[in-house]
Amino acid sequence: MQKRRILLVDDEVGITRALALYLQENGDCEVRVENAGSRALETAHEFRPDLIFLDLVMPDADGSALAAAIKSDPKLNATPIIFLTALVSQRETGGSAKQIGGHPFLAKPVDPDIVLSYIDKYAGNHVGR
Amino acid sequence: MSAAALSAPPHNAKVHGRGSAQSGRARASVIAALQVHSVPPRALVLSLLAMAAAIASTVLWPWALLDHQMLASVLALLPALLLAHYRKWTRVALLLGLGAVVLCTLHLASNYFRLSFESPYVLVVAPYLAIALGAGWFGEIRRYKAELRVAQLQLIQTEKLDSLGRMAAGIAHEVKNPLMTILTGVKVLSKRLANADETTRTLLADMTAAVGRADKIISGLLSYSRERELDLGQVDLNATIDASLLLVKHELEKERIQIVKDLDSSLPKLQLDQFKIQQVFVNLLTNAVHAMGQDGEIDIRTSLATMADGAYVGHRHEDRFTPQERVVIVQIDDSGPGIPEENLGKVFDPFFTTKPTGIGTGLGLSVCQQIIEMHGGAIEIGNRAEGGARVTIFFKIETREYSDAEATNSTRG
Repeated sequence: MQKRRILLVDDEVGITRALALYLQENGDCEVRVENAGSRALETAHEFRPDLIFLDLVMPDADGSALAAAIKSDPKLNATPIIFLTALVSQRETGGSAKQIGGHPFLAKPVDPDIVLSYIDKYAGNHVGR
Repeated sequence: MSAAALSAPPHNAKVHGRGSAQSGRARASVIAALQVHSVPPRALVLSLLAMAAAIASTVLWPWALLDHQMLASVLALLPALLLAHYRKWTRVALLLGLGAVVLCTLHLASNYFRLSFESPYVLVVAPYLAIALGAGWFGEIRRYKAELRVAQLQLIQTEKLDSLGRMAAGIAHEVKNPLMTILTGVKVLSKRLANADETTRTLLADMTAAVGRADKIISGLLSYSRERELDLGQVDLNATIDASLLLVKHELEKERIQIVKDLDSSLPKLQLDQFKIQQVFVNLLTNAVHAMGQDGEIDIRTSLATMADGAYVGHRHEDRFTPQERVVIVQIDDSGPGIPEENLGKVFDPFFTTKPTGIGTGLGLSVCQQIIEMHGGAIEIGNRAEGGARVTIFFKIETREYSDAEATNSTRG
């Protein structure tokens, strides 16, 4: 089975390093990390992920604007996006019922197993390439 | 349950001033404090009148005493002071004092002008009345000082909470990111060390639990700072209580807690944010369960009532209810040990908790109070004579959201 291609966009190097390791070792994923929000669109074009995890607040980019740019890009607009944010608490995420700009979100700190369950749910059916 | 007249709620001056962490509410409190500080116009006129009368009587009284009424005046001193001691009699004392001035003036005028209405009874009454005037004056001063003190305390409290709210969002973001790094890292190590010795695995489990605890605190702080908007709708309060009970069903069953409900089916629908009110009930029920341990009993009552005199009742800016206003009351009694007297004044303070580390964040009751006050209601906690704690919530029947703008512009009273 082909590995799921996951793009992690977050300026926190510690988070992306650990999460990439976890997903690769436990989730049968091929992970690309992008720590500069301003280069995320470019990296997505190059990597063509099945699913993008996007930080909402980054020093050089606004996550929701970035999501809008991805959604208006003809080559990427079918790629599901999940926000990973420290701005809300876990209780406020309300499972996957609530959304930010039409995308589900996870509150940091989130158990990487939950991240994996989101990958199963959202990247499973996606045919991005 | 019938519409029983409600007796005065236990005095808790802090309650209605404990606002949310909103800047608008803070501004409103500043305005309220300034209003008290500058003394309301009606009271100012009354006080000035009393002062003028007091000065006049001081001048007139020695003249009146020349007619040997010393004993009468000394005897009069005690009841007059007693009269002024009780706040609501202060104004009666003032009126008597004003009467004294009139009588003294009449008496002296009759002497001076040799008029015919002079009476010895006038002088028996006059000193008594003059003293009452003085006592009344001091009573009024004391009343305004007390009000000023209350307003100042409210202001300080609101400002503290306001800055806490602003800080919370910033702190939450800065702390949640490192927590994510730690949690994910620990999880990676846990998987890699799945076959490690037990000590190593325990260490890793402890670290995961510690992150969970820290996150719980931060998330509580975040939601505390967020409780600022209401999503109002017509809500059946009794149904909301039932829904909340369902949410804590597991805990209730685990601790074998018995629930006794006495819900008034004639309650009108209330304008409430159902989710937030449910959050309040869940918090209160969870607190009760934690306080009681196993085999306790929780009594929940709802009823219609009329607000009598009390801490939140009046015509001032910060009063939540007008006298005789119809309200809906929820009472939740538990059979736990109650709240130690020294903690009663602190239970609504953010981060105040008596629960063991890791169990409570100390924000539950603060959030409850914040939500109830946003609905224009009031919440209080006390101990029952027969043992256990009692939470009482007063809901306005006609709720309006205490938004920033409204709180600031409110001109009630």
